[in-house]
Order: sequence, then structure tokens, then C-alpha cells
Amino acid sequence: TWLQVGPQATRILASFGAQVIRVEWRKRGAIDFLRYFAPFAPNHATADGGRAQGAAHSSGMRGNFDRGAYFNNTNPGKYGVTLNLNHPKGRDLLRRMVREANALCENFSPGQMDKWGLGCEELRKLNPKLIYMQTTGMGKTGVYENYVSYGPTAQAFSGLTFLSGLPEPYQPAGWGYSYLDHSPGYFGAMLMMAALRRQRAEGVGAYIDMSQAETGLMLTGTSILEYQLTGKKTTRYGNRMPYRDWAPHGAFRCAGEDNWIAISIQSDAQWQALAEEMGSPAWAREGKFGSAAGRKQHEDELEAKLTEFTVQSDRYDLMNRLQARGIAAGVVQKAADRFDRDPQLKARGYFVDLPHSEIGTWPIEGFPAKLAASPAYVGGLTGRAAPKLGEDNEFVYHEIFGLSREELAALREEDVI
Amino acid sequence: MTTDGNLRTSLNNVVVVEVGDQMGDYAALLLAGLGAEVIKLEPPEGSPSRSIGPFASPTPDREQSVFFWRYNLNKKSVILDVDNPAASGALGRILGKADILLMAGEYFTVARRLERCRSIAGGNRGLITCAITPFGLDGPYRELKATDLTQMALGGIMAVCGYDPDKDNNYDTPPIAPAMWHSYHIGGEYAAISMMAALNFRDVTGEGQLIDVSVHEAVNTCTEIAIPTYIYNGETVLRQTARHAMPAVTQMRLSVSADNVYMLASLSPFEREERAFVQLLDQIGMEHVLGSPEYAELEKQDRRAALTYRNDLIEQAVASLSAEEIFRRAQPLGLAWSPVRRPEENLEDRHFAARGSFAEIYHSELGRSLRYPGTVATDGQAPHMHYNRRAPRLGEHTEAVLEWAGVTRDEIASMRRHGVV
Repeated sequence: TWLQVGPQATRILASFGAQVIRVEWRKRGAIDFLRYFAPFAPNHATADGGRAQGAAHSSGMRGNFDRGAYFNNTNPGKYGVTLNLNHPKGRDLLRRMVREANALCENFSPGQMDKWGLGCEELRKLNPKLIYMQTTGMGKTGVYENYVSYGPTAQAFSGLTFLSGLPEPYQPAGWGYSYLDHSPGYFGAMLMMAALRRQRAEGVGAYIDMSQAETGLMLTGTSILEYQLTGKKTTRYGNRMPYRDWAPHGAFRCAGEDNWIAISIQSDAQWQALAEEMGSPAWAREGKFGSAAGRKQHEDELEAKLTEFTVQSDRYDLMNRLQARGIAAGVVQKAADRFDRDPQLKARGYFVDLPHSEIGTWPIEGFPAKLAASPAYVGGLTGRAAPKLGEDNEFVYHEIFGLSREELAALREEDVI
Repeated sequence: MTTDGNLRTSLNNVVVVEVGDQMGDYAALLLAGLGAEVIKLEPPEGSPSRSIGPFASPTPDREQSVFFWRYNLNKKSVILDVDNPAASGALGRILGKADILLMAGEYFTVARRLERCRSIAGGNRGLITCAITPFGLDGPYRELKATDLTQMALGGIMAVCGYDPDKDNNYDTPPIAPAMWHSYHIGGEYAAISMMAALNFRDVTGEGQLIDVSVHEAVNTCTEIAIPTYIYNGETVLRQTARHAMPAVTQMRLSVSADNVYMLASLSPFEREERAFVQLLDQIGMEHVLGSPEYAELEKQDRRAALTYRNDLIEQAVASLSAEEIFRRAQPLGLAWSPVRRPEENLEDRHFAARGSFAEIYHSELGRSLRYPGTVATDGQAPHMHYNRRAPRLGEHTEAVLEWAGVTRDEIASMRRHGVV
């Protein structure tokens, strides 16, 4: 796999103790884009240090393919090997591994594995119990099976991009990250674990033709139903709540640079509490704001008035004061806020320090649930962040799959591994 | 492709008891799509998610919530007020036959119910209990009030979604929560993964366990380079219109087609995409200097100007044709372009029809069928997930389920007198 959408499912399986072997090739064009995608660990960070040696305070400190920060966060807990699938001996070696594997995951362009003779049909002849998961933009079957997609493509296609943002005439705001590079990984982990139960109980494999676009459709159900019932085209609502008389309901500017707080008022009592927190200004006592329906009807004015108050407030102080009054309020937290400040993430141990063999120990984002008896550990079996390119060739090929050291040397010589 | 590995029945012997609010609806829906029997225990006035719109009726009606319809397919509804001590006997018998107890809601409510169910269901050592709460069952924020919107704020997604800043990187538009109920989608997907992991663990050990899902942490997992950019480089990413948040504002933008549809049309930094774009321009007869020595020189002298020239060409190419036409031409060349569709436009798409992406669900009360998004994957022939029953009416399965659990008719009558069922 490569990029984000493929490695996500195996990242989760590794967290639950699966032995995940990440197969890569080091030649230009084959190497995972994320390995040379900024940001990078600072040049001075070494295996013995890492974050303790300090951040770089600049981007683009590109060293080599083993210093990518996002790659490091995306592939922890995995073993890493190099394997040239353009070489017949490379394909043979993959076949040898597949014979003993429970599952194979790939997200190459549709048809690439078939071109190598490594498609699902072929591999399941070698291992009928194999679970083969293939993630593509549209899905391998259907009329767009060869269409190409990144997360944003599938988001635009499935309707998610349209849903995000302020009402027209604003254009869609889209997504500042690719949920559809995550969700197929979540579903992939879920379906593979369902297939593993069957494999264990009944000895059968599975072919999972995962569609990024379909994982997007799953999130648009309410819009799609509303259209079928009313013929009404979907529109955008910004941060407002169209389906209940909740107002104010949005992000409001606070003191400081690009600082915001989200506030959701769900009842008259909460509105009264908010008004009291503002010092019960005259405008808040006006009749038109007295009822939920009235606040909803005059939401533009309500938001403008509320902003006159919030813009003078410190965002965290305001959040604490509103929470003390039983109001759902949350700071729009940026990365620094979440990493340095968020006491909840700290207390729950969300960030997990993991070593990397070249750039040292860095915090890795963890799994968002605690399982009492079989906890997820993002370091997996390796106890490491992401592997260096080909870091585990010896361990995987020699110790797991039993190739001799002489065979390995020969394969290295022939540019197979 | 063989179909022996289809997963639509893979949870056929799994009974899931669902209690709580909209944070848990989606997680249980996903398990139901793989064949689990999901029993929703509702208070006499109905689950909170029945009061979320839109409604199929002109005024809010707990049987007409389209939100509830969407997230509760294939489930059974039982009226049983789990907070009422008079329900203990029935609850105990249901939990005795359950594999998973899924609870969702505010910390106080869930913690209280957990305590109660633990004493009632103590004999079922294989029971997996999954609690979905806004912040998790411990930690200093666990009691905070939250809605979907505030979770998207605190969890970091809003800070990376929105519109471009001005040239000085100042924003006059707010951060945006990119879709409604999305924090519950993320939390639900992680809850489903966790329950699946716990089922695997139980298959091997016979032991159930407690799963503590934090929606806050689930939202946090999604911001991609925001966290690494800060940790490794000390920089904050900037939100930008319809593209990834990055430390600097990037040049790409949405284009508008001849038929006035926004089009996601951009080039990734791969040579093959630039070559494909040149092919597209040649195909539609648009003049350009891409690939010429003149352009190579411009790239060397002024990379930003070269990018602007290329992006202008994209914009002109998109403006010259309808969105569907550009889509049909660009994709076979290997360009990952797409129109920005409204969700409902996919109802008519041939691709999704061929894959069976939508499940046709008959609503007897409406006398018609509605199409629901119904799977994320196929086995090469058929969808791996399967939905065939509309969301239940409140209490539609009360008697059938209670009898299945071994509650006698007399007991049911007694509970009815106490207002429990």
C-alpha cells in the first residue's frame, strides 16, 4: 500500500497485534509519496534523540526517505521490507509470503496487481484462505473501475465536498483533510477483522473490493433520503443547525489571532445562562431572542451580537465559564492547542512516544478507544514508529520466511530486494 | 470471483443491545449491515435521535425522523426503560443472551448505566460492553457538555477546514465543521472496529471486555499533517478552500465548468499527471506551451508564475466543457478529477447502480421504497453489507424480543403497569 488510504487499515490491525509487513520498493516512481512529503524530522534529530533534540521551526528539512514526519505517523507498528515486483523473482517472493499470510492489502491503481499476475484470483490459488483487500477510488467492479482517485476526488464525487461550507453564494469549503483517505481504512480494518473470524472458524478467505467513494456515500444518507422525499436539492448550512431550533450554533471569534470558540445553545435555559454570562445586555433581553424559534429566525443578528461579546473574551476562559453554566462550548483547537495544552488527551495518553531507527523518538497519534482486555497499542509488535525503507528485510525474509543469508545476498545483488 | 467470503452474514450469531443517543446509532448500524441482530432499547418517549430532523412529516414526529430512519436500518425496537429498577429482570435476561452491549451518551448517563448493567449482567462473562461518550470514561474533560459541533472544534477538525485567508493570512470566515454529525461518524467507525477486535479476542479467549470510545480522540485522529507539522516543525497549518490545510497557502482552486458546476481539477506533483493534462488540452484543442522549452524556462525562473499559468489553463479547460464531459475525458487519461456533486446526484449514477451501492428499502407506511447508501465494498459480485428493513417504529418489537429473552407475559403485563415498557 501507499499514501494514506491503504496504510490506514493495516495501521489499525498492527495496533491490535497483527504482524504487518509493509512491502515497498525504493526506485523512483514506486516509492511511497508520503516518504518524501513534508514535514520532515529536523536534520539534527538522530536515532538516540528525536523530539528531545528540538523541533526544526522550519519546513522542508528533507533528508532522505526515512525522515518524513507524516509517513512516520501513518505507518507505526509495521515491519518494512523492500521488494521489486517488476522482477519475476520479486513476484515469486511475494507469492511465497502470501502462502503463509492471513491477508493482503493493496491500494495501487486499479489493475496493477493483475498486470503483475498477483491479482486476487491468482493469489487465492496459492492460498485459498487468503483475505485480499483492494482499495480503489471508485471500487474495482462497476463502470468506473479504472477511474483514479485521491481522497479529495472521492469526496467531491460522493457529495461530501458539496456538504461542507457556508450557504451559496459561497463556494463549497470542502475538507481540509481527506476523510476518505481514513474511512476506507477504518472499514477495511473492520471488514478484515470480520473476515478473520470466518477464516479462523471456517477456513474461508474473502475478497474485499473497497470503494473510497462508497465510504463517502455512507455519510450522506440523510441528504439523499430528504431529496427522495421532498425533491429538495441539498444545500449547505455552514456551522448552523438546520434540523432543530438550536441557535446560536456556530464558531465565534475570540480575542487573539484567528481564535474561535464553538457554542451550541440547545434550550431556553442555556440561552438564559449564556445571556447571564454576557452580563444580561439589553439586546439579549429583546423579545425576538426570547424563544428558540425567534433566535433561529434572527440568527444573523444573534451571531453578530454574540460576536461583539466573544471577540473580547479569552477563548479558554470563555469555554470554562460557559461549561460551568452547563453550555456546550469548545475552543476551535489548533494542533498546538491539542498537543501542548489539551488536558484530556494528556490524561488519556493519546499521544504515544515511539522510537524510529533514524530520527529517534517522536509522539505518534494513538487509537481513540481503550479496550480493557486487549488494548490497542500503536507501536504494534515492533514497538516502533514507522520502519525505515527495507529496515526489516533480514528479519522478515530470513527469520520469518526462512530464506538463507546467501539467498538474501543474491536477491540484493539482483536488485530484487 | 468466488462469493464464499461474502461478509453480509458474518455477524449472524451476534446479538447487539443498543442503549442511548445519536452517538451510538451509526456504530450499531454498521454491525447490523454485517448481519448482527441489533436490539435498540428505548425509553417510552423514544430514543433521543428520534427527535432529530429532517422529518418526513410537516412537524416533528418521532416516527418521521429521517435522521432516525437512516441510522437505524435493520434494527429492532423495544420499549424498555433501562433506568427504571422495575426493568431489571427483563434487562438481565436480555443481557444474558447478548454478545455486545453498546451504550452511548453523556458521561453521567453512561457511567450510571454501566454500573447498573454490570450488576445485572455479571453472569455473562463473554459480554462485550462498548461505551461511546464525548470524551471517554476518565480524564478531566469527561463531564464536559458537548454537541457534534463542539466536538469538531475541540477535536481539531474545524481548525483545518474552511476558506482561504487573505493575502496576509488573516481570516474573515470562520472555521467550518465540514459535515453534520461527523464526529459521531468517526466515533462510530472506531467503535465498530473496536467491537470487531473484541469479538476476535472473545472467539479465542471466551472473555468479554469493556471498550471505552472517546469521540474527542476519534476526531483528533483525522487532521493528517496538522499534528506532525506542529510537532516536527513548530508550524501551524492554514485552512484553505476545498483543499488540504498546509503551512502555506497553496495555489490550487476549484474550477467552474461550462454548465456551472464546481469541479475538483488539480494536478499532483507527478510527471504522469502533467503529461495527461497535456493530452487533455490537445484533445480539446486548447493552445498551450506546457512541455515546451519556453515553459521549462519559466519553471526554472519563476516557479510560482509557471504554476499560475498551469492553473489558469486548468480553469480554462474546465470552463470550456460540461462537468460530466470533463470527468469522462480526464479520468481515462489518469487525471483524478471529479465534479463536486450533490449527494443525491449519485442516486442516478450507473456505477453505483452496477455495484449495488444503494439498498432499496420498503417503507410500508409510505407505500414506497427509499434508496439508502448500503455498503462500502463488494466481494466482486455482491455488496459485503446488507440492509433490507426500514428503521423500526417505537416499540415495534417489544413483545417479540421480550418473549425471545424469556420474559413471561405476566411479567410484561406487570412492567407495563409500572410504565417500564
